[in-house]
Amino acid sequence: MYKCIITRLTQGIVILLVVSFVCFGIFQFFGDPVLTLAGRYATQAQQKEVRIKMGLDKPFYIQYFVFLKNALRGDFGLSYVAQAPVLGLILERLPASIELAISAMLIALILGIGLGVIVSLNPRYFINRFIMAGSLFGVSLPTFLIGILLIMIFAVKLRFLPTFGRGEVIKIAGNWRTGFFTIDGLRHLILPAFTLGMYQLAVLLRLTRGGMLEVLREDYIRTAWAKGLPPKIVIFKHALRNALIPVVTMAGLQFGELIAFSIVTESIFQWPGAGNLLLTAVYETDHPIIVAYVMITSILILCVNLVVDILYGYINPKIRYE
Amino acid sequence: MKRLTSIIVILLLVSGLIMTTLINGIAAGKDSINVAVGSPPQTMNPHGSDSDCNLSVMGNIFEGLLYRDVAGELGPGLATSWERVNDLTWRFTLRKGVKFHNGNDFTWEDVKFSFERLKEPFPVSEMLDFGGITKSVETVNGDPWTIDIKTTISVPYFAQNLHQIFIMDEESTKSRSVGEIGQNPIGTGPYKFVEWVKGSYLKLTTNENYWGEVPSIKNAEITPITEPSTRLAAITTGQVDILQDIPVELFETVAGDSNVEVITRPGRRAIYLGLKNEPGFPASDIRVRKAMYLAINEEEIIEKIMFGHAFPAAQIPDPPTVGYDPSLKRLPYNLEEAKSLLAEAGYPDGFKIKLTGPNDRYVRDAQICEAIAKQLAKVGIEVELDTKPKAIFFPEVDEHKLDFYLIGWFDGSYDFGRSIIQLLLSVNEEKGYGGLNGANYSDPTLDKLFEESAEIVDPAKRAEKLKLLNRTAMEEKIAAIPLHYQEDSYAVYKGRGIEFTPRADTWILFREISFKK
Repeated sequence: MYKCIITRLTQGIVILLVVSFVCFGIFQFFGDPVLTLAGRYATQAQQKEVRIKMGLDKPFYIQYFVFLKNALRGDFGLSYVAQAPVLGLILERLPASIELAISAMLIALILGIGLGVIVSLNPRYFINRFIMAGSLFGVSLPTFLIGILLIMIFAVKLRFLPTFGRGEVIKIAGNWRTGFFTIDGLRHLILPAFTLGMYQLAVLLRLTRGGMLEVLREDYIRTAWAKGLPPKIVIFKHALRNALIPVVTMAGLQFGELIAFSIVTESIFQWPGAGNLLLTAVYETDHPIIVAYVMITSILILCVNLVVDILYGYINPKIRYE
Repeated sequence: MKRLTSIIVILLLVSGLIMTTLINGIAAGKDSINVAVGSPPQTMNPHGSDSDCNLSVMGNIFEGLLYRDVAGELGPGLATSWERVNDLTWRFTLRKGVKFHNGNDFTWEDVKFSFERLKEPFPVSEMLDFGGITKSVETVNGDPWTIDIKTTISVPYFAQNLHQIFIMDEESTKSRSVGEIGQNPIGTGPYKFVEWVKGSYLKLTTNENYWGEVPSIKNAEITPITEPSTRLAAITTGQVDILQDIPVELFETVAGDSNVEVITRPGRRAIYLGLKNEPGFPASDIRVRKAMYLAINEEEIIEKIMFGHAFPAAQIPDPPTVGYDPSLKRLPYNLEEAKSLLAEAGYPDGFKIKLTGPNDRYVRDAQICEAIAKQLAKVGIEVELDTKPKAIFFPEVDEHKLDFYLIGWFDGSYDFGRSIIQLLLSVNEEKGYGGLNGANYSDPTLDKLFEESAEIVDPAKRAEKLKLLNRTAMEEKIAAIPLHYQEDSYAVYKGRGIEFTPRADTWILFREISFKK
């Protein structure tokens, strides 16, 4: 078990190195930040001065090693555009993304697994077939369309909910702002969380249903029914627990992605999260933010995957780590 | 089984109840306002960005020595009066009794410090050129309220630019880190900084110790919203009070909403086509340049591509700019004449040319390029389209190797003399000329006229010279093919009785916005 974790960590570090290199390499060829940073009216001599000051006149490999050296100390440099430390900018935004991802995941888990179980018990009921058909929309509709539809229905036509933003937030601990504890914050959370969670919800629903249908046919379930166990125990303890393994894998893998790639949802709802920051940075050719963001989300996804792997062992003792 | 279903039904009901209690809106206070803009402010360092979206925000927190009113007229700011003593010296009388937001007094040393700060390259200043031409800031006869600013060369537009050179507090700027300055601005302006989440929102509140009239709107928020449908939703539901830049595709929908008032005005930015004139290149012949101009149907572009939201341009500067010539007219669309000119020039069957342009910089930029390609095809000119993201396009402009390119321009200092240096003068690295002259256009007549204009001290005579330069460039040389001025558009939510007049420079200054009494 520990050996396995150590192996995974070493692999993780190699992956991070590769990611940083590729990322750093690609952005060398994506626009020249000096042109904007010297100002519209700058002369060539002034542009050169800026380039030297930024260290962009040095060969690529030296730039990369300087970057690595600083990154190891947790210093990702200054944002070209904001002229503020990159790490602070990203960390300030991360809570918003994490809150959105957690809410979306909760919605997806509760509704996805819950509905999945209901549907699997009586697959032929009209209402259950209807839910299954609906889940197809969840899987196939692109996020931006779902987001815009939800805004148009609930914000513009019905005027129930706000159209964008995070509403009122409370500061807890440093720059960690939360919208969980204000009514306004929760109201602002509903539409983006549903938008972001819709795809996961549909996927988890279908996975749960598939797993449940399979497990419910097993002999041990028939035995459980036969010996007169209450339905609660048969369904949740014997059936669901066994059907849950692919669901947990999927949910775990996607949680990291929800945080890292909520860019579309964040830009539609103008959600002040890290994805939104990334999009702004791409637009402004702000390379330090882009590189740091990719690095941080890579670390995040690697960690989530590791946790999922460990959780397996607890859900299904049959899985062993050699 | 039944129990399970009932539990789920109850859960659904409860969550429904929670949702409905959450749904009651919270009305915004009478003294606060929320403005949605298209591009977010980039930094809180007032010298760290020369883009309009940033200067617009900084103009609320900071002040320059001078100030431009809604109409674009230059007036007193932190200086109460100013004059040009000789061609290298500008004299200012400073305002007394002004305090920075941190309580420090505004002194001439802050002015000196701020101008010197402009000279520091990354990570401080995007206004290096202006820092570079400033030689010294000194008091006159020891009076700390009268200063002389000397320039290294004759800079006729010096005062014209001072509304956007913001004055910072020397003490707090020196004692804080670059990152801190980039996030927590301290100025003298009518609004104080409250909170900024980059790319998401900026909150401001009035500076109760402001030397002038304290604005009536107490709390101001600026939110960038980029997604067009969200912008539409935000203004029609009143979640924002003013929306800057209505997306042209959704213009009719916004204008048709009874809750919203739409305000438009001709924008300052002109879109034009740059064209190479290197010997041997077809367009080095003035007849070819004229033919291309004649073959472009600008009316059609405005109507079909811009949905009517643009104004035809016959030159690059806009009316309030020094050097604008109202007598210039666009060459009328004329295919026959274009064809015969091409035949005369020896290209009866046209020629091939590559049109480069950005696809994420100006309103419908890539579509304009496509339209031009189709229109030029009618006279036999085969256009190869090459549109790309601005992050790749502008470095290419900087290399001066393009044949034919689409670009937009407006000058924040309202001076064509300053613009033409960048746009149409022959590339001269030493002097810093031709930075945005993407096709390496070069004409000795224009270069000479410009040098003559730079030596003139008298503003009226200089303006005449710049007009002549402009007219020569447009009529005689067709140095560029002007297309149109973009339209500035704003949507104002009617419910709250907001009085708002858009500024020529598109800045949003909250002191100029009020609620109807």
